[in-house]
Parts: sequence; structure tokens; C-alpha cells
Amino acid sequence: MKILVCITNVPDTTAKIAFIDNDTKLNKAGVQYIIGPYDDYALARAVELKEQHGGSITVLNVGEADGEQQIRKALAIGADDAIRVNCEPSDSYFVAAQIAHCAKEGSYDLILMGRESIDFNSGVVHGLVGEMLNIPSFSPVMKLDIDGNTAKFAREIEGGKEYLEASLPLVLGCQEPIAEWKIPNMRGIMTARTKPLNVVEPVAVPEAATLEKYTLPAPKGAVKMIAADDVESLIALLKSEAKVL
Amino acid sequence: MALFCITSIYKLPNMAHSFYSKRDLQFNLYELLNAEQLTQYGYYQDHDRESFEMILDAAEQISEKMLRPLLTEMDRQEPQLVDGKIRVHEGMKAIVKRFGEDGWINALFSYEEGGQQLPITVQNAAAFIFQAANYSASVFPFLTTGASNLIRTFGSKQLIDTYTPLMYSGAWQGTMALTEPDAGSSLSDISTSAEPTDEEGTYRIKGQKIYISCGDHDACENVIHLMLAKIKGGPAGTKGISLFVVPQKRLIVDANQNLIDNDVQTAGVYHKMGYKGAPIAHLMVGSNDNCLGYLVGEPHKGLNYMFQMMNEARVGVGTNAVAIGTAAYYASLQYAKERPQGRLISDKDPSKPQSLIVRHADVKRMLLFQKSIVEGALSLLLQCGLWSDLAHVAEGETKERAELLLDLLTPIAKSYPSEMCCQTTSAAVQILGGAGYTTDFPVEQFYREARIHPIHEGTTGIHGLDLLGRKIVMKNGKAVQYLMQEMYQTIVAARSVSGLENKANELEESVTTLSKTTAHLLSIAPQNTELFLADATLYLEMFGITTIAWQWLKQATVAAQALPNATAEAEQNFYQGKLMAARYFFEYELVKVQSLATRLLSHDHVTVEMQTAWF
Repeated sequence: MKILVCITNVPDTTAKIAFIDNDTKLNKAGVQYIIGPYDDYALARAVELKEQHGGSITVLNVGEADGEQQIRKALAIGADDAIRVNCEPSDSYFVAAQIAHCAKEGSYDLILMGRESIDFNSGVVHGLVGEMLNIPSFSPVMKLDIDGNTAKFAREIEGGKEYLEASLPLVLGCQEPIAEWKIPNMRGIMTARTKPLNVVEPVAVPEAATLEKYTLPAPKGAVKMIAADDVESLIALLKSEAKVL
Repeated sequence: MALFCITSIYKLPNMAHSFYSKRDLQFNLYELLNAEQLTQYGYYQDHDRESFEMILDAAEQISEKMLRPLLTEMDRQEPQLVDGKIRVHEGMKAIVKRFGEDGWINALFSYEEGGQQLPITVQNAAAFIFQAANYSASVFPFLTTGASNLIRTFGSKQLIDTYTPLMYSGAWQGTMALTEPDAGSSLSDISTSAEPTDEEGTYRIKGQKIYISCGDHDACENVIHLMLAKIKGGPAGTKGISLFVVPQKRLIVDANQNLIDNDVQTAGVYHKMGYKGAPIAHLMVGSNDNCLGYLVGEPHKGLNYMFQMMNEARVGVGTNAVAIGTAAYYASLQYAKERPQGRLISDKDPSKPQSLIVRHADVKRMLLFQKSIVEGALSLLLQCGLWSDLAHVAEGETKERAELLLDLLTPIAKSYPSEMCCQTTSAAVQILGGAGYTTDFPVEQFYREARIHPIHEGTTGIHGLDLLGRKIVMKNGKAVQYLMQEMYQTIVAARSVSGLENKANELEESVTTLSKTTAHLLSIAPQNTELFLADATLYLEMFGITTIAWQWLKQATVAAQALPNATAEAEQNFYQGKLMAARYFFEYELVKVQSLATRLLSHDHVTVEMQTAWF
């Protein structure tokens, strides 16, 4: 079984976010990057499926060279080779088009990725990739097993789960608890450096949108402590400050 | 318009760390030490900064997932002796297995031995993360590293093939078995005996050992003791000490290579003040005349062999102390940033909300005290790691310099953080006030756990004697000359950095004071050895403060040069923090050198002249 795992290179969730160049670029100085946490779940399950069924794992990142550390970590965790599409991942459609192009060339049985990235959080790339490849896509997938040419999986839905079966190939957007994040071992870390990493140029994609600027959410206000029996003050604040009543 | 938004609704692998600073480790490794320089040597050529980072990330993830969650539980659920076997926290089995399977136990060793030729500098940095997360849990695998290192270095091929693979895998625990009821600091007085058997290299061992870390427990299948004993008829004192592999269960030669009991009985488990999660055993060896030990290397060279491991262990003890001190620092810092109490002296208006305690000058003093000690000592310890690596792979003067500097400063690297982190963890408790004295917060545990370090692997007193009595004068003072060169290089570099000129002068003054004091003490030595060494512990303290000030001047120089180019607020804060901590250390700690010099240059020898009856 050939598995393609798509990973994003995203700022650590504790990173302080600031913008430069008139709020059109993220200030990367001092920012630590990680593999997108949902992508990390997808990768972990891919490694387990490979252990069970054999085959290979290719990890794919659409991004610039500074993301290669996360690619190498994915190789250390258990991917066999990697592809980096050398470009800035400008929007979901553009990223999906790059993934779809690589996927066509590789003929994968299973394309796994996180249900969403944690920087732009669009949560639509898996759907777009499925559409571009004309194969089914499902998300958010929280359990996945493979039986021959059939994927048996659970998807989270409003208020519960649905259990589905579908024939391969598929595109799946993954989330916990599909697998536990893997921690690379020493041997994996050392062999990662020798595994192939192909850097390819992006295919041309019509520009769907242009960036104007970024803004940060408004800072959170200070907490106001109100005595448990002071209901009147609480109601007054909910009316005057929170404006929810 | 797009909204850039970061979600943080779940625990992530790289989330904020409450027990150490990854940024500080990176500062030390890459900005201060240039650890990447090691990859130019053949032995380390397969490594690069990315592999270093991945290894530290893996250490962090294991710490957060497996070690840190058991920190309090392991303290509350002490090891118990049940039916002659010590039971440890049930989580330890998975931890030891994980360290073995993931290759941490033998990571330093060569590819041929199944290792990854990891630089000691990086291993020490990773160990620091484990220790800060859960000191007791971190001890198990790294004791095995030290013990297996002795076997692979000095043991026969048969010993290596028999023992090290299962030790590397985590299936078998390794220990250092030195101390006896009547021989603690004075190893020359050990009485455990070794009697030759008909089989060459095999001896019948008899005696008892106390305070043996991980000397028995149920998280591993077997325990392999690297034990000191005296071969009957051998020379008296330390020259008669030999080193043996003494397994708790020995292999019998049959088709299945079964294990049988080797007559190493656990007589008790010690109930300690802190560091409670790791079992400390009292062992009865050969009570039934059926304990076999296997000689490591040559007879009567045991202490020399053991000191290889002891020296590594001593730097390791310093790192343990700093790790615990660091965890306490971050716990108290977090509390101080959240706890409102009182008002600033300059603004006592009771109608205003209370101030967070982190804004009070005295609380800032206690935080700066902790920061300056733990970060200053950590940089020395990582520097020692780099010297260990250079001693291993470099040649010529670089190798000699690294060996001598490491040898000279090992007593400092062990003792300074061990002594000072007893004080820093106390400051952490103080910041939390009454809350810090309760078990609701972890700082009281850190305070208790810090206290072992001035005691084990050579007490502070022993290290004082080692420094003044041996290290200063070894090779005609060449090691000291190298250190002075290093310190003056730092002083010269700092003088060219705006704002650090005075600090450079202050360090130079202290170095001069230290040199004068050393000369004075050495002048006493030929006439009266007892007077010469009476205050060796204070000399060690003086030397330690000066050494850490040197490390701070190096850090301040790098920080001052990096600050103007730092664009991100977090980076600016980091470098400002470094400069302020350096300033604190010079203002509050380095000044102690002068009072220590006054004492050490005095002709009043009260401790020597005091009589027992007068107490």
C-alpha cells in the first residue's frame, strides 16, 4: 500500500504572532515551528498501517525550505521518502492543486492529512484534493483500518460518530484519536538524513485571492472577579460590558 | 482580508514548558558553544543541528508524555520492599523500556556497538530535560549508561557480549556499587571481598553495599552491579580495590541461557528525604557463599576504572541539581506572575487592586537569584560536555586543553550547582510562601530533591580537597593556566562590548583575587597540610563563583551583541533577561569572592584549633 501523508509546517501554538511589512507577512523571528498537530496524527496512523500491511509512506509538504526540519522529523518518525513543493503555501486551493498534482504522479492508495492546518485553519484542502483527483474524501476521520482494498473508518459528526467503509483510493482528513503521536527514536533520527527528499517546483494555479493584510484578534480583557452572591453586579456587567444580555 | 489565528485548544508537542527553557538550551548550544563545530570531526560527522534539535524535541516529548505526569506520584508512592524485592512505581517499566527501545541508553556509543555516536554535549542537554521533568525517573536509564560504559571500556569481549546488549535494551539495569556501612567517602576502607574460583576471571564475592541507586527493582528483569571489592591477599587501601560485574541473577551455561539467583539479597530499601521515586537499596552480597563476580579489566585497578564513571557521574550530578533548580525556578516564576498580593511600596493605595507578586523588588530578587544560578551553572555544565566531546575526538593541544579544563572544573561543575540549588529551591518555596510549604505545589518536592546532590558522588568537602589538593597543582598548574587564558579571552572580548566594560574589570579583579588566594594557600602546603586544606570547601566556593561569573560574562557578551538585531519581542526579552541576570550575578554573587578571600587569607585557624571537648 502506498500512502501519501501531507504535512504542514506551522508555528508552535505558544508562539507570539506578530506581522511585518505593513501586516502582510508573519514575523518568523524567534518563532518555533512544528508539524501541524492534526497532520501528526495522520502520520502516526500511516506508520501503524505500514507496520500492519507493509508498503511505503511518502510525506509531502507544500512550503519553503525552512520547513525541511519538519519533513525530516516525519522521515525520522517513519516515512520512507519526501517531496517538498518549493513555494509559499498561499491559499487552500493553491495547496490542494499542488498536492493533487504530486498525488497523480505517485498513484497513492491512501492520501492522509490533518483535518485542518492550525495556521489558516481552512479545513478544506482534503475535500479539494479529492475533487481534483476525482476520488472520495472524508473528514474528520478519528479511526481508520484497512482491510484489503477497503478502508473502514469512523468520522466525527454532530453529536456522535458515523462508521463508514469505502474503497481505496481515498483522501482522509484526520484528527485524534486516530493514533497517538509518534516520538522519533535515535535510529530514526539518524537515518532520516539519508532518506530521499525531492524538491519540486509548483505547478501554475490561477490566483483565487490576493492577500490584503493580516490582523490579530483583539487582546483579551482582564478577568473580573465577582462574589458568588453578587448576582446583580454580574447581570449589570453582562449587560453593560459583555453586551450579551 | 485574512485573519491569522492560532488555535490552542489541545496539548501540543511543543507547548510551553513549565519546567525548563528550550530557548536557553538553544542559546547555550548554538550561540554560546557553537556545538555544531563537533560535526567537523569524523566521529560526529553524521550529525547536524537538525539532528540535535530532533533529539532534544524527542527528549521533551518523552518528558511531557511519560516522565512529568509521574513526578508527584513517584514522590508519594515510594518504592517498597515486598517479599525481598523492591517494587517501584508501575509506570517505570514503560519508561525504562522506552529509553531502551528508542536508543537513549547507548546513544553515545559507536555505530558498531549499536549506538548513534551522539555528542556528549547533546546527550547532556537531553538528560537535563529528562531530569527537570522527573529526576527520579531519569536516573534509571542513565545509571545503566554509566555501568555499561565501564564494561565496554574495560571489560573482556565475553563480558561485553554477555551484558551490554540487554543493558542497552533496558531489560537489565546497571548500577554503581561502591558504598559500604563503614566506607562512604573513604573507599580505601571497603571490606567486600573477592576470592578467586577455579574459573579464570570469576570470583566469589562477599560483603554488603548500602545506598545503591536502583540496586534492586521490578521495572527490569535483572540488575547488573559494577561493584568494588578487594581480592584476598591484594594490597591494602585503594590500591587493592578491583572492579567486578556482579549480576543479581547470573546466566547459567545451558541451552536456554537461563538466569539463576546470584546470592545478592536486598536487605532493605531506604526511605529518603527526596528523590523518592528511585529505589536506594541495601544489598547483602554472598551471604550464602554463592555470589559470583566477574573481574573487569585487571586486578587492583578498580578504583581507576570506576573514576572514569565517577567523573562523568559528577558532571551528571551537577546537571541533575541544575535541572531540579530550573524546574523550581519556572514553578515559582509562574506562581509569581499569577499571584496578586500586597501593593508596591511606591503605591499603597488600598482602593487599587493588589499587585502581582512578580512586581515586588524582593520577589524579583529571589527570581533573579534562581535564574542567575541555574542558567549560569547550566552553561558551565554544557561547556563541560563540549570539553568531554573534544577530549574524545580532537587531537593535540585542543584535546589536552579540553581534558585538563574538564578535569580541573569537574569539582566545580558538580559542587557549585549542587550547593547553590539547595538555596535556589529554597527561594522558590519562599516565593510561594505558605503555599510553597504545602504539597499542593511541586516546589517543596524540588527543595527536598535538591538536597542529595551535595552528598552523593563525592561530598562538597571531598571536592574541595580534590580541587585544592590535586587539581590546582596537577601538571604543574597547566590546567589553571588554560583556565586563566580562557577567562582573560572572555574579559578582553567583553571590554569591547558597550555596557560590559565594568563587568569585565570586575571579573578580572576577582580572578586576580583568586590567584593571590591560591598562591597564599599553596605557600602553606609544604609546612602544614592540614592548615592548607582546612578551608578547601570555601576555596571551592570562591573558585565556583568566579567560574560562573566567567560563564555569565560570556553569556552577556553574546546577548549584548545579539540584542540590537533581535526583531521579535520574545527574542528581545530573552536577551534582556540574560543581561539582567548577568548583572545580578555580578552585583549579588561575585562580590562574595572578596569576603571569601578575607577568610582564606586569614591567619586565624579556628576550625583546626577547635577541640572536640569544647563543643
